[in-house]
Amino acid sequence: MIRAERLAFRYPDGTPALDGVTLTIAAGEFVALIGQNGAGKTTLAKCLAGLLRPTHGRVVVGGIDTAAKGVMKALVRRIGYVFQNPDHQLFNTRVYDEISYGPKNLGVPERERDAVVREVAAVAGVRPELFSEHPFFLSKGLRQRVAIASTLAIRPQVIVVDEPTTGQDYRQSIDVMEFLTRLWRQQGHTIIIVTHEMPIVAAYAQRVIALCRGRVLADGPTREVFAQPDLLAQTFVKPPQVTRLARAWAGAGVRADALTVDELVDEVVRVAGGERAVAVPRAGRQEPPAGPGAQADA
Amino acid sequence: MGEAQIAKKTLLGMVPADSPFYRFHPVGRMALLIFLSVTPLFIDMPEVNLGLILVTLGLLWWGRVRMQQVRRYLPLLVTVAIFMFGVAFLAPGNRTALTPIRSVGATFYFEPMWWAFVSYCRLIAMLFGAILYFSTNRERDTLVALRSLGVPFAVSYVAALSLRSAGMFMEDFKTIREAQQARGLDLESLSVVEKAKLYTMYTVPLFAVALRRADEISNALFAKGYTLSGRPAGGGRRTDYLRAQYPVRARDWAVSVGLVGAFALVAALSKTTGVFSDHLSPLRAVVVGMVAAR
Amino acid sequence: MRLAVEVERFSWRYPFAQRDALREVSLAIPAGEFTLVVGPNEAGKTTLMLAIKGIIPHSLAGRHDGTVRVFGEPVAQKNAAVLARQVGYVFGDPDAQFTALTVEEEILFGLENVGVPTSEIGARIRRASELTMISDLLDKPPYDISGGEKQRVAIASVLAMDPEILILDEPTSMIDPLGKDLIVDICGSLKRDRRMTVIVVEHNVEAFAPLADRVVLVRDGRIEREGAPRTFFDDVESLIDCGVYPPQVTQVFARLQRRGLYAGPLPLTDEEGVAAGTRLLQGAGRWR
Repeated sequence: MIRAERLAFRYPDGTPALDGVTLTIAAGEFVALIGQNGAGKTTLAKCLAGLLRPTHGRVVVGGIDTAAKGVMKALVRRIGYVFQNPDHQLFNTRVYDEISYGPKNLGVPERERDAVVREVAAVAGVRPELFSEHPFFLSKGLRQRVAIASTLAIRPQVIVVDEPTTGQDYRQSIDVMEFLTRLWRQQGHTIIIVTHEMPIVAAYAQRVIALCRGRVLADGPTREVFAQPDLLAQTFVKPPQVTRLARAWAGAGVRADALTVDELVDEVVRVAGGERAVAVPRAGRQEPPAGPGAQADA
Repeated sequence: MGEAQIAKKTLLGMVPADSPFYRFHPVGRMALLIFLSVTPLFIDMPEVNLGLILVTLGLLWWGRVRMQQVRRYLPLLVTVAIFMFGVAFLAPGNRTALTPIRSVGATFYFEPMWWAFVSYCRLIAMLFGAILYFSTNRERDTLVALRSLGVPFAVSYVAALSLRSAGMFMEDFKTIREAQQARGLDLESLSVVEKAKLYTMYTVPLFAVALRRADEISNALFAKGYTLSGRPAGGGRRTDYLRAQYPVRARDWAVSVGLVGAFALVAALSKTTGVFSDHLSPLRAVVVGMVAAR
Repeated sequence: MRLAVEVERFSWRYPFAQRDALREVSLAIPAGEFTLVVGPNEAGKTTLMLAIKGIIPHSLAGRHDGTVRVFGEPVAQKNAAVLARQVGYVFGDPDAQFTALTVEEEILFGLENVGVPTSEIGARIRRASELTMISDLLDKPPYDISGGEKQRVAIASVLAMDPEILILDEPTSMIDPLGKDLIVDICGSLKRDRRMTVIVVEHNVEAFAPLADRVVLVRDGRIEREGAPRTFFDDVESLIDCGVYPPQVTQVFARLQRRGLYAGPLPLTDEEGVAAGTRLLQGAGRWR
């Protein structure tokens, strides 16, 4: 469990980043931090992970105050942070050494370490054939997986990922997000992502915290947060297109808080179809079914 | 081109945009650097060097540099003094050839202490010359000065790029340090030896990031039409828009030639006539007198 | 119809690679058109762009076959300065293309390289920075401005050179939402101008599809599909399989179309979608 109490952070050159943030993240949540650049989301994520010490207020992770001395090793066992650019994290000459570094540094004995590395690599999608490869020469997607695997190897309860889908194509984005969802659902990890991509947030996050100028602007279940587009506009965030469409069609009875393409399509079908039996989806054009309320344009 | 700014940011601080220094061409300012910073090498007499320091302080004040910035260097001055005089006290050399002074229960030796003083004055004069330059000049000013002096474009460009890379390097270093902390590296609890051993944790990512960026920058340079010689597409000399913003006036010639001339004069005099020798220093005479009186 | 770019059965293999990055690619882009290039990562999109710009083969080693022509002449025969005048290139990483100490110097660097006379430089800097809304950043060093601002500086420095073709390789990928919108706006005004041939590689299809005259799908080193946006996104499922995410509104209506609830052109924007949906729901008698 992570608690931030009146957390404030100012960079050494004087730039204020966070201005009194108080929040609690319970174990097992899937949270997305959103907001304009400079709003403080990455700073907040780093403070929660103990990488930055608060200028005022405090952060407590699993009972440990992040500002205390010598707690880095204990913190790292509870909360792991994956950076946006994997190149900043990878420093070993072999993938295997990279993944095993964390447990080694924490004093895990060798046999247990090997088991952990193999398990975590499998979960992260890093094939054993890659173990003796040099991380520098792998593709960006693979490097990110190695970075995630090396963070997972420490077995933190909480995993923070900075921009998991930036620069990825759709397939790769889904792969990463499904992977994080498996960690969340099946292994009970708490997941915190920092991201700009609202469709990803809408489809995967359970709770959204929006930041604006160093303060919390909105904090709640995803549907509720995206139901306030005017508020979100303050931090230059727009809800995903399907949500915008749903709100525009709310007058017809469509649920205004649709978050995904599937939900919106089902909603429209439900509302437009009325009691009429829905035609079985087939590829190619379909003759409109007979009955009242057939649609308009040709 | 920046006229609307109230203050310009230099390498070591801020200076008002209407500072009198900006009425002079960057080459003149660089000539001032040479005069204030290199001349002390030829001057042993501490009074002259102290005088130069006063001149430099005066110029800082005249140029409207914020004096609080200068105060930041006090700890450095004190540390250097402690170091130099400490060495002179603890390791004076062949004691039999030197003049001892007994004071406050310890034995000082005149010659090494005097020499430490002479060197200290010289060093501080050079340092202040550099402080004045870097407090009143931006990277762009240095670039224009170099180009005006005929430094080839590629050289001045690479120098500028290195300066900028230093900034990026510091950014990357900070991020990498955080990334390693996230792997459980707790720097505070490590000994110096252990910290040194962990340098691979930093150098490998730094190189990786730098290599990738170098690759990308070389493509970016090509994309902007840059060829290694720096010569433009149609041939002929490269236009220099920045230099064109700094017209050279008569006073700039006067200042540059005057300062470089003065420097040359001092150097020549020092080597030939020894007029700046510390043995001619009035201060030395006074101190020797005090020592002899004991 | 003047062709800005002609790619004729062009193949390229990077050194030490197992396979060709581009395999006999053929593409013709008429002058003045706005083309959107989509496809999964590592499909060859960037390689194709580098080949049009001339970085391939001038700056990168590798094996190639076939020809790439810009305004009728093969790229391999032009030098860096000529290519810089004709084809502008904006890279995806804002940090990796900032080569000077201040914004103003960044813009004028390219101008000096291509030999623009000093008298004209000032005006060009002004115009380019106004178009990209960075006029108040001219004196700033790169570490003092955000990623979105850096990217706009990159666009300004390329626009100042007044190229006839502008290539943007994932310009919004590393940029925050506000910065993204501004970049899309800039592309919008370039399109309205109609003077430049613009080619954008992007994953952010939702923002750029409405601007495109044509969309091209690159996959596995080949061009798998190309067409006008209205017809390009018809087959939503196979696009998603390819790693391309069509605008959500287009996906919604494609699915509604298949369920027999919608017949008509697939919308590409919020406005079109709202209108089409409203008509659909009114037609269904649902609007209160």
